[in-house]
Amino acid sequence: METTFTPTVEGAGVKATIQRIGGYLAGMVMPNIGAFIAWGLITAAFIPTGWIPNTKLATLVGPIITYLLPLLIGYTGGKMVHGQRGAVIGAIATMGVIVGSSVPMFLGAMIMGPLAAYLLLKFDRAFEDKIKSGFEMLVGNYSIGIIGGGLALLGVWVIGPVVTHLTNWMGSGVHSLITHHVIPLAAVIIEPAKVLFLNNAINHGVLDVLGGAAAKGASHKSILFMLEANPGPGLGVLLAYWFFGPKALRPSAPGAIIIHFFGGIHEIYFPYILMKPRLILATICGGAAGIAVFSATGVGLVAPASPGSIFAFITETPKGDYIGMFLGVIVAAGVSLIVASALLGFGRGPDVSDSEALTDAQDRNRKAKAESKIAVPTGAL
Amino acid sequence: MPSIESTDVKKLVIACDAGMGSSVMLASNVKKQLKGTSVIVEHTPVDHIPADADVVMCHAGLAERARKTRPDMVIVPFRLFMGDPAVTKVINAIKNGGTIDG
Repeated sequence: METTFTPTVEGAGVKATIQRIGGYLAGMVMPNIGAFIAWGLITAAFIPTGWIPNTKLATLVGPIITYLLPLLIGYTGGKMVHGQRGAVIGAIATMGVIVGSSVPMFLGAMIMGPLAAYLLLKFDRAFEDKIKSGFEMLVGNYSIGIIGGGLALLGVWVIGPVVTHLTNWMGSGVHSLITHHVIPLAAVIIEPAKVLFLNNAINHGVLDVLGGAAAKGASHKSILFMLEANPGPGLGVLLAYWFFGPKALRPSAPGAIIIHFFGGIHEIYFPYILMKPRLILATICGGAAGIAVFSATGVGLVAPASPGSIFAFITETPKGDYIGMFLGVIVAAGVSLIVASALLGFGRGPDVSDSEALTDAQDRNRKAKAESKIAVPTGAL
Repeated sequence: MPSIESTDVKKLVIACDAGMGSSVMLASNVKKQLKGTSVIVEHTPVDHIPADADVVMCHAGLAERARKTRPDMVIVPFRLFMGDPAVTKVINAIKNGGTIDG
């Protein structure tokens, strides 16, 4: 088992398809994370329980999450389907679901933005050869205006209310997971999915949407922003590699730790798990332990932590939640370190570290060299 | 499998899922190593690899998506974000000449 280096959990085509769909959802949110962070910082600073309460400045909080963030998502989603025209119609259609609902319309924006752009794309394709010369601009503007306006009306009447129910339903599902203390089990799904490069899909495609809806509530924060982004579990695995990993890999661990924990690029630790897949148990246990601490101490973040750096956690933790936040990150790292170290045999014993991963790495090197000998003509190296 | 002579490589693209995180990091690394050559190094999301790219590098876990986006392009999968032999091989080929296989 341990020699399988590349993830092949499902049929390879299925994995790529899931990645692609997830990447698509995340792709609507990720370019706009800066706006989420601006909203989070303003919230943490100026709400009545914030650092420097200010009623005038706190009036920014509501409109940003109600209008700006969903509009940006709908705009970006439309742009991904049909360029600038798609972006504009995506924003118009998103406005409909925003007005037609009482909850933050992230989910609605993710549906309406691409859908509106797709319909416009179909329209543009159908009529591109049929427009008389000189009427292109007229048709171009009025097609967006009429189709977009119609979709906005549809959003107010039908789609907004439907998505409101859907969002509330998912929100109460998550809420009951939290109140019944089973939310740590989320790590069982999140941690393996992460190393299969579904990290963005889960965090920004799903958790941001649910977290954003939850964070609009009175508490102005959500634990959901912490589930995937916690840098603790990955830190534990990298530390274990540094102390007990195959000797050839130990020197690479400190650099990876800096990039992962401070830079927030979690991808850096995925290969360390993929080369010894049983280490996924370490991040699952670490992740679950961290979530349990976050949940027990009742902490959350005010906005998505992206990248998942400890600095992002620090800046987005609301006043009063610091102890729980740090405790959760440290516990996650600690549990993950202990489990990973045990799985690595503490660097000794019959299961001596240097076994699979290193031979595997050496095999690859040898193979790569052999390939380069065949592929690279004489004098190339 | 497509391949390309390193002298024909004008644009090297490093792709990751979002094109915002790990690919940016590796691209800035590779850029440093290719300083002095005329090769343009870019980072993009794996589903939006530009058509004028000559060589694409991405993590093995994403290679299938890259191949779906650009079936005829030279796609070099790697496994480690630091010090992967596949990445080193491409850089050496560009610097010293040789063929890059997808």
